[in-house]
Amino acid sequence: MFEKEDKKGGEGQESAVLSTGAYYEVRKERKNKLTKRFDSHFSRTLRTSLKVINVSLKHKLQLYKKQLHDAQQAATTHQKEQHEDKKKKTAKRESREKEMERAAQGIGAQIRRLDEACVLVHAERVDLKEKIGPYSAADLFHTVRAWQTGSRLHPLSASGLRCEDLLFFDTETTGLGSGTGELIFLIGFARVEKNAIEIKQYFLPGPGHEAAFYDAFLRDCRSLKNLVTFNGKAFDWPRVKTRHRFVRDQVPRLPAFGHFDLLHASRRLWKSRLDSVRLQTVESEILGMRRERDVPGKMAPFLYFKFLKQPDANLVKGILEHNREDVLSLIALYTHLSKKVLGLAENDTEETFEIARWYLQVGDDKRAVPLLRKLSGTETREGARAKTCLAKWYKREGKYARALTMFQSAIRALNDPDDTPYIEAAKIMEHQYKDYEKALQYTLKAMEYLDANVNLPKEKRNRREADCIKRIHRLDGKLMRNKG
Amino acid sequence: MKIRQSMDDLLAMLKEDPNVVHWHTIPERRALSVPFPESLDWRLRRTLVERGIDSLYTHQAQAFRDACRGEDVVLVTPTASGKTLCYNLPVLQSILSDPSCRALYLFPTKALAQDQKNEMESVIDALDVPVKSYTYDGDTSGSIRQKIRRAGQIVMTNPDMLHASILPHHTKWVSLFENLRYIVIDELHTYRGVFGSHVANVMRRLERICGYYGSRPQFICTSATIDNPREHAEALTGRRMTLIDRNGAPSVRKHFLLYNPPVVNQPLNVREDELPAVRRLAARFLKNGIQTIVFARSRLKVELIASHLQEINTGFDERAKICAYRGGYLPLERRKIEKGLRDGKIMGVVSTNALELGVDIGQLQVCIITGYPGNMASVWQQAGRAGRRQEDAVIIMVASSTPLDQYMVAHPDYFFSRKPEEARINPDNLMILMDHIKCSAYELPFKKGDTFGGQPAGDLCTFLADEDVLHYETGKWYWMSDAFPAGDVSLRSAVQDSFAIVDVTDRGHVKVIGQMDRFGAITMLYEDAIYIHQGKQYHVDRLDLEERKAYVRRVDVNYYTDSDLAVQLDVLETDEHGVMPAQVEKGFGDVSVRALPTVFKKIRFETLENIGWGHIHLPELEMHTNAAWISFSEDDIGRFGKDVFQGALMGLSYLLRHAAPLFVMCDQADLSVVPKIKAPHNEKPTVFLYDKYPGGIGLSQKVYESLPELLAKAREMVESCGCESGCPSCIGLVNEGRQAKHALIRLLKEARPER
Repeated sequence: MFEKEDKKGGEGQESAVLSTGAYYEVRKERKNKLTKRFDSHFSRTLRTSLKVINVSLKHKLQLYKKQLHDAQQAATTHQKEQHEDKKKKTAKRESREKEMERAAQGIGAQIRRLDEACVLVHAERVDLKEKIGPYSAADLFHTVRAWQTGSRLHPLSASGLRCEDLLFFDTETTGLGSGTGELIFLIGFARVEKNAIEIKQYFLPGPGHEAAFYDAFLRDCRSLKNLVTFNGKAFDWPRVKTRHRFVRDQVPRLPAFGHFDLLHASRRLWKSRLDSVRLQTVESEILGMRRERDVPGKMAPFLYFKFLKQPDANLVKGILEHNREDVLSLIALYTHLSKKVLGLAENDTEETFEIARWYLQVGDDKRAVPLLRKLSGTETREGARAKTCLAKWYKREGKYARALTMFQSAIRALNDPDDTPYIEAAKIMEHQYKDYEKALQYTLKAMEYLDANVNLPKEKRNRREADCIKRIHRLDGKLMRNKG
Repeated sequence: MKIRQSMDDLLAMLKEDPNVVHWHTIPERRALSVPFPESLDWRLRRTLVERGIDSLYTHQAQAFRDACRGEDVVLVTPTASGKTLCYNLPVLQSILSDPSCRALYLFPTKALAQDQKNEMESVIDALDVPVKSYTYDGDTSGSIRQKIRRAGQIVMTNPDMLHASILPHHTKWVSLFENLRYIVIDELHTYRGVFGSHVANVMRRLERICGYYGSRPQFICTSATIDNPREHAEALTGRRMTLIDRNGAPSVRKHFLLYNPPVVNQPLNVREDELPAVRRLAARFLKNGIQTIVFARSRLKVELIASHLQEINTGFDERAKICAYRGGYLPLERRKIEKGLRDGKIMGVVSTNALELGVDIGQLQVCIITGYPGNMASVWQQAGRAGRRQEDAVIIMVASSTPLDQYMVAHPDYFFSRKPEEARINPDNLMILMDHIKCSAYELPFKKGDTFGGQPAGDLCTFLADEDVLHYETGKWYWMSDAFPAGDVSLRSAVQDSFAIVDVTDRGHVKVIGQMDRFGAITMLYEDAIYIHQGKQYHVDRLDLEERKAYVRRVDVNYYTDSDLAVQLDVLETDEHGVMPAQVEKGFGDVSVRALPTVFKKIRFETLENIGWGHIHLPELEMHTNAAWISFSEDDIGRFGKDVFQGALMGLSYLLRHAAPLFVMCDQADLSVVPKIKAPHNEKPTVFLYDKYPGGIGLSQKVYESLPELLAKAREMVESCGCESGCPSCIGLVNEGRQAKHALIRLLKEARPER
């Protein structure tokens, strides 16, 4: 902190020797004027001081325990537990075994062991008819069956799979970071079998038990080829990989994994109508589900830390319930999304358009094009966008005449200022029909729209404008040559 | 029309100059070369030959041999001695023989890593073997990061990145850590003080991770000249080191001149300020098209010199481009200047010690040092910037009127025979150590009996478990918090606390023009200050402490501003105490320091006269640190009279402030000196010297240990000064100067009668 001081600053210090009284006066006055809010960085150093003398580290630590403690208090923000009372100390003395058994009982779990380590496994079978939001697990059978005749290319496709191949999967962690210090302390999965939903939850009773934890999970899950998660690709799975590394010598290898990430699907379909695409939001806004007495996800780490100090099952029951609901919701959400994509549920124009675009992107033109054609007949915003989409597809297929008609139609239907169809039309005119005059007209029009489109980010606009100008120059050149 | 003067003409002129008080010529040195070692891979051999290198300097060959033999090596290398080959050869050799080998290069800054990457790239191209080398820093894009982790054979990064990004995610770097063969630490000497103490702990963490993955990499370190390279490298890495300090690179003849500005006020023994002298000298070279670098100690001085030099060139037909260079500029701006210097588009540069680092700006012909930079290591680093090709290089150190500078120019033999200072770190500073124990526990749980930096970690872990940061279970301490510890720890204390300087001249195009640490902000960016950036003046409209922003506006005024600080100091605990002759006491312990910026002065550029002042309304800065102190008897006040004694006390502080860096390697700014006529803890007249970093970094302890020698040196300085009643070159300008000077000499004599 006090570094890089100019020489003059030092001279200022000298004045202090002469005017200690004045110093206090200035200081008092200043104190009144200024809020004492100063950076935590400084308040921390204020409370802390250390020595660099040759005392043993242990002795030093004793000396400075208080200061360091205060510094620690300032650094961590979460509320602290009360001092350990005698009762807790007695509890600590009890054998770990007893504690574990009691905790297992509390959450209705079996204890499974691997060497010294153990894991609490809660297993449950739920009736297929039980309602999960608007669906029941039985609906999943229809859905999977429907996929057998549906698109094979679609990322959500269960074509070739059986219902019980899908593993609905979710974890709870001690932090949201991605470093090596974050633990997964709860893994839950659900699997829909012939006569019941099988739910399994693996609870880590302490950080030293990860070997048993991953061993049990990896032995039970059979295959991880068809994980269904919500943001598992970016969140849960990398964490599983990180933690697995620490116990890789003691537990089965991580099998190859495949993924249905429902976050991506939800984002595609509902991004514009949801404030945030979180599982809870999708549940309540899209599936019309409600959770009673839910433990918010961000509370989970704190409850778990408490549990570690005092293994009372009641502390973590809520987390297990939260996780259970998450994996069940995934069943409903997968069913819902599949029905939409398969066209078995009603879709509004926006959803239809996004589904069509999705098909187009994965190369399932056969399913995308009819949807786009249908949309293009509607007088909606998506209708116009569908026309542009369709026109591009025609162009890609080499059907330039149809592409051009469709672009022109898109231009007529256009409500928002969008320069794309103009540019596309200009391209066709220039390259296919060699009609530079018309191409030039379209390009000029595109420029106009670029100007009018206030929503476009500046960089994008500049780039597109530059492209337009280049095109105009080139077209001008071609026209001149034609005339000359 | 003016005729250009050649270097020889200019040297002849300087020979006549009465202000050049000493002329030291360092003869040119021939290269000491040896043939390529037998074991050198033929592809490397071919590449070197293609680049016109047909032998190695002795130190390069030794580095190659020792590294290949498995030793941890530290090299002391002056500027431009081909140090890059010293580590690139063994690293490439090992990768060529086993492509699974990995190497990690650490540079103190991103820019240096970039430079080295480009250098490495060209070698690899010539090798015609696909060796994958990458820089990994904050700017590296996500997609490339994955590739680097998986396949990067040489990863070039900085300690901050290693600390906050690589180590906490070590499971993503398995192939690096499992196969790590070499760790290269360049510019080792920069890792001293606080930064060094942090980095030493990062190395301890790295060691743990490597141990976990079963690798034991070798270290190759390079350092500029310091007195204790081996000891320093060992403290930093925790390994036994082999020292290579015989340099085989050639160097041109160098003229090292000591220049003392003339006395302008005979009665007060006041010398001309060093700035005008530096400007005159620099202008002489620049006008004749000779590339010159000027070093100055403070950012303010850099700007003042640069703006004046820019002026002298106006109207000249061949306008030389002159730039300022210092911390606080944005990276892009710096890169532009560096490039300009390399390709000769920029004729002159005025810099703080920022350009001491191995930033690649090529060699210049002339180096002017404004005032003794505080330590010999810096002197030689700065001097090393001069020395291009076959021509003679000129280095001029212009003395300021401070006691240390005057002592140096008066004792040139002492100056030229002085050893460079020791670099000191204190990795066991409890604050720093605790930060890294946390980070390390996050990365890997501590087992009972584990050590960290050679000391048992158990006590520290138990403490952290009591604090609910770690969780103890079956013999291990696990990280158990939802925080990310490395995110809260900055290796360079100032970084996370930096202020943005926002130019609001054009309301439509508000832009950030630089950044500054908190202390700098409080002393340079207070409201109504004139802040100078690239020679342009800005008025500070507002300093927002909470948002850490200073809003500035372009102005054109004929003055600059300078601030005063008031410092209050309390002793919390005395750890060591001693009595010297004549009831003089010394002590060492913990103190609380509170600093308060009080007023600022407006100073006119041309005449340096004070033309006004204003209050600064900012809260005080407060910290706990270590201090050494020396107390005199209260009777002395009566003996000499209050005014005289006060003068003597202030004179002593003035002397100590300048003499202390002779004993510890620190910038004057790392150590503060405060006199108190009545110290709060013992009510005695006392001078305090304290570390300017929370918790201390061992400087004041070293001062305490060498207090007798320090006082002896102070006495020598004050006695050998020819002035009557105190001058800036001994005790400074104090009240009752004549008597105060005598009083001080007497006090020092009594405290240490024998010399």
